[in-house]
Amino acid sequence: MGMLNLILANISSKPVTRLYPFEIRETCKEAKGRIIFNSENCILCGICQKKCPADAITVTKADKIWELNVFRCIMCTECVNGCPKNCITISCERAKTGAKEYIKILVPKVDTPKTDSPKKASSK
Amino acid sequence: MTTIIPFGPQHPVFPEPISLKLEIDNDVVVGALPSLGYVHRGLEKFIDTKDYIQTMYICERICGICSGIHGITYSRAIEKLFNIEVPERAQYLRVINSELCRIHSHLLWLGLFADGFGFESLFYECWKYREGILDVLEKFTGSRVIHSMSKVGGASRDLNDEQIDHIQKALDTLEPQVKNIEKVFVNNYTVKKRCVGLGVMSKQLAYEAGTAGPTLRGSGNAIDIRDTPDYDIYRDLGFKTAVGKDGDCYSRTKVRIDEIFESIKLVRNALSKLPNGEISVPVKGSPTGEAIMRAEQPRGEVVYYVKGNGTKNLERLKVRTPTFANIPSLLLMLPGVKLADVPIIVLTIDPCVSCTER
Repeated sequence: MGMLNLILANISSKPVTRLYPFEIRETCKEAKGRIIFNSENCILCGICQKKCPADAITVTKADKIWELNVFRCIMCTECVNGCPKNCITISCERAKTGAKEYIKILVPKVDTPKTDSPKKASSK
Repeated sequence: MTTIIPFGPQHPVFPEPISLKLEIDNDVVVGALPSLGYVHRGLEKFIDTKDYIQTMYICERICGICSGIHGITYSRAIEKLFNIEVPERAQYLRVINSELCRIHSHLLWLGLFADGFGFESLFYECWKYREGILDVLEKFTGSRVIHSMSKVGGASRDLNDEQIDHIQKALDTLEPQVKNIEKVFVNNYTVKKRCVGLGVMSKQLAYEAGTAGPTLRGSGNAIDIRDTPDYDIYRDLGFKTAVGKDGDCYSRTKVRIDEIFESIKLVRNALSKLPNGEISVPVKGSPTGEAIMRAEQPRGEVVYYVKGNGTKNLERLKVRTPTFANIPSLLLMLPGVKLADVPIIVLTIDPCVSCTER
């Protein structure tokens, strides 16, 4: 009798698995999917590079390049928390297969207001 | 006359490479010699190049199954070094994460164990139920396997009302499901035939061999780090140690199933008592001195030793994992059993070789 119940339950219930790739699982909004970099406010301070435990981020100040090696990134979100200008955010959408290995972004020139350094100010 | 045959490192029942040289005499095991080192990654040396905050992410990658508890234990060791009091809410969040990790680890093990003696449908059933807990962990911590929920000084993620509802609903669904598979593991004729009276360790021998975790408790020793005064808040949540009595494979399986129910109870209690307030405190400076921290992982007791010398890098990090403690007791269990029963006994200590070798 137990076996019959099991058969009937399996016939009437939905399949447990999905028909991937036709049905793609939706990620929840809290999920750590991929890093998104917005270069507009970036001041190339390099804090994200220092904080990254996997050495996935490279900031070249001379050439104004911000690079992320996607295959090295471990999604720890240390860079997201460390960025003083909130340039780095995390999206819940996962990176699609066949994504490029590197995210290489040229940071546009930002006009930062010139201020006297504290040493100069104190000497005066 | 005895023959020595290699068992592993690649074997259908092993999820990870552990190699045993078995000395057999006419299908009966006489002796066993382990051989480790196939997945050694040098993580303890690797921390020389990382600061103590980045080291937490390395510690989480020691193991894929109990990564959350590795991270939490390391964070607690560093907090002990700094003499920091972590906010109460963060402690509760750590307990919730630890217990959810334990549930998914035990369900994974039950599946692998069922697969070990050829019960494929039970294997799929266990892993199907585990998916629900992985979804909960994804909603709570942001990822399904490596959680990075803990950080030095507290927790990196908080729980809101929607997430609490999701966890409670998932646990309400999971409890009858685990009761369903418990019936099979406890009452099924085939399972009993393969497990009862196999790989017996007496209470005294298990204690003397330094066994850890469900393998120790399966032999009747009520020793659990969660039941000690220095371990977070488990006593406030009404924790009871699950203990077996026979010391065989069947007893160890029952201990793990009981622990799933105990973890469900602990998560429910923690959610109902979750206090308000901050989830982390800032930690600054470079640590000096040394500290030892213990924690109860799904497989047993893990010990972290950290030593700081005032620079930004730790001078030494040493981890003693539960599988390392369980290998000597495995070697004591094997003599006298038949070759066909060796995979069952090896699986019941829940070997995690990547933990052991690091």
